[in-house]
Amino acid sequence: MIWTALKRNPLGLIGLGLLIAMLVMAIGANWIAPYDPTKQTGKPFDPPSAAHWLGTNDIGQDILSELIYGARISLLIGILAASIALSIGTSVGLLAGYYRGAAGMVLMRLVDVVLVIPFVPLMVLLAAYLGQNLWNLIAVIGLLIWARPARVIRSQVLSLAEREYVTAARAAGARDGHILIRHILPGVLSLALAQFVLATSSSILIEASLSFLGLGDPTQKSWGTILFYAQARNAFLSGAWVWWVIPPGLMITASVLGFALLGFALEEALNPRLKARAATTTWRATAPKTVIPIQPANSKQDKDTSLANV
Amino acid sequence: MINFIVGKIGQYVLVLWIAVTLNFALPRLMPGNPLALLAGEEVGMLTPQQRAQLMANVGLDQPLPAQYARYLQNLLRGDLGYSFQKNKPITTILADRLPWTLLLTVTSLLISTLIGITLGAAAAWQRGARGDVGLLGFFVFLESLPAFWIGMLLVALFAVQFPIFPTFGAITPWTKLEGWALVEDIVRHLVLPLTTLTIVSVSGTFIVARYSMLAVLGEDYIVVARAKGLRERVVLFRHALRNALLPIATVFTLNLAFAFGGATVVETVFSYPGVGRLVYEAVLNRDYPVLQAAFLMITVMVVVANILADAIYPFLDPRVRHAQSRGGAQ
Repeated sequence: MIWTALKRNPLGLIGLGLLIAMLVMAIGANWIAPYDPTKQTGKPFDPPSAAHWLGTNDIGQDILSELIYGARISLLIGILAASIALSIGTSVGLLAGYYRGAAGMVLMRLVDVVLVIPFVPLMVLLAAYLGQNLWNLIAVIGLLIWARPARVIRSQVLSLAEREYVTAARAAGARDGHILIRHILPGVLSLALAQFVLATSSSILIEASLSFLGLGDPTQKSWGTILFYAQARNAFLSGAWVWWVIPPGLMITASVLGFALLGFALEEALNPRLKARAATTTWRATAPKTVIPIQPANSKQDKDTSLANV
Repeated sequence: MINFIVGKIGQYVLVLWIAVTLNFALPRLMPGNPLALLAGEEVGMLTPQQRAQLMANVGLDQPLPAQYARYLQNLLRGDLGYSFQKNKPITTILADRLPWTLLLTVTSLLISTLIGITLGAAAAWQRGARGDVGLLGFFVFLESLPAFWIGMLLVALFAVQFPIFPTFGAITPWTKLEGWALVEDIVRHLVLPLTTLTIVSVSGTFIVARYSMLAVLGEDYIVVARAKGLRERVVLFRHALRNALLPIATVFTLNLAFAFGGATVVETVFSYPGVGRLVYEAVLNRDYPVLQAAFLMITVMVVVANILADAIYPFLDPRVRHAQSRGGAQ
């Protein structure tokens, strides 16, 4: 069902293509990378050549190999942080949507609070205290971006909880836990998938910024960490920026864009509310064939995706 | 109405309390020497008097509740602590840095809002046409670009390869410029960071503007206005855009708050002496008190802007005003 929906969205397919390329690179890094990126394999600041396609950095490490291994770190952080965010977000969304009394109110207040706290300075603060470590970075990002998915999933749960089959299950004496897991959870899984993909996109960009600020793991270089070193060693004062600064940035952009495009496409295909809205607002005679929905910024609730502030 | 206001205020108080308490708890919960976490890495260089003074000021020898009370007291007096690294009270450091951040971020916000609204409205007006899809794709692409990377490329291109603009700072050091020469110098330093920040923040406004315009265009009164045979321009500006501006106004106020801390990476790339650059320096030097103070200040700004947004909205939108006074809050 996901595939048939995706097939009709060219931008979503581009995103999927980008991601597959990135994943292949990350998984096959051992075989693809020409050198060990942690070893000195050439002269420092060597421009691109047959031996080093993208030249070398300040201590003679092969930049192409750094990029290929960097895909592992950047994608790993992005995907794991998004997994944490979605686990929390889905649980909170389910509970807040199903229990509409005081418990739900408290949970939604919590979501509002998390959305208001300026998350980038907080991440910097936490990461600085916890130390430069891959797992700390994942935890910090994951623990601070779950509120938006929680909100989206809750609104879906609100409508699912009113469906006849849920009422029927309740009348038949099913317990809350059973209803939530067997009847409501399956209804939000596809939406959660779209949110997961979008959260991965944000996480990769956030990780790049945090690493660029010197909070990355120096032993596990991500693309952001490579750029941190390029900045710290003044790569742009020499010609080295052409092969040291441009490629990692392109990799970050390509993977963030890949996840974002796929996420928007999934959201459009799987979110019934967006579909309905798209149908009612095509008031012009020239109705578009492909509508690219961009999540409505329901006022301030969407602040956490404003990546400009990272 | 009362419920609504009380709920909102409660939420903001909660946010502030969480930020303050996090700041209090972090250095005390972390393993290691709490004095080092409170004073930064410089703690080894302190004279015995300074050390004793710090101990007395923070009250590390007292039980936690007493420390907490003292901490809150200091905060209320505007005392954010002392940076031993920079040898200055943190309040002074922040006051020095804030104007530059404001100059950079507020200017960028104004420009990106203007561009975002204009293009967003234009895109929505011809929804689905080639121009709309093109703009949308372009802005989604912009949103995927890392801000610091754009900055690095701009420095490499327009400050090093073609030395048109300075590579760092906000004013040329060791010169005594006055009057227009000073203004020109400041503007020259501002161009590249401003461009960077605007490039990465414009897409947010565009997407909000386009979406809110689309929502308005679907309303019945637009159909009526068109059916009445009003000119397209009149429908666009008087009926559609005016209403579409409401959500954008909220987003603008909130962006303003995020801008305080938001420019961190951009200021870092250009060594621009604002709060963001301060955060970077504090990370590199492990100057924890400064990091904490910056986080706290940004949180306060965000809360203030939220309150402003909540307060202004009913004035902009009579529907909200009436709904609230009828008790149908939110």
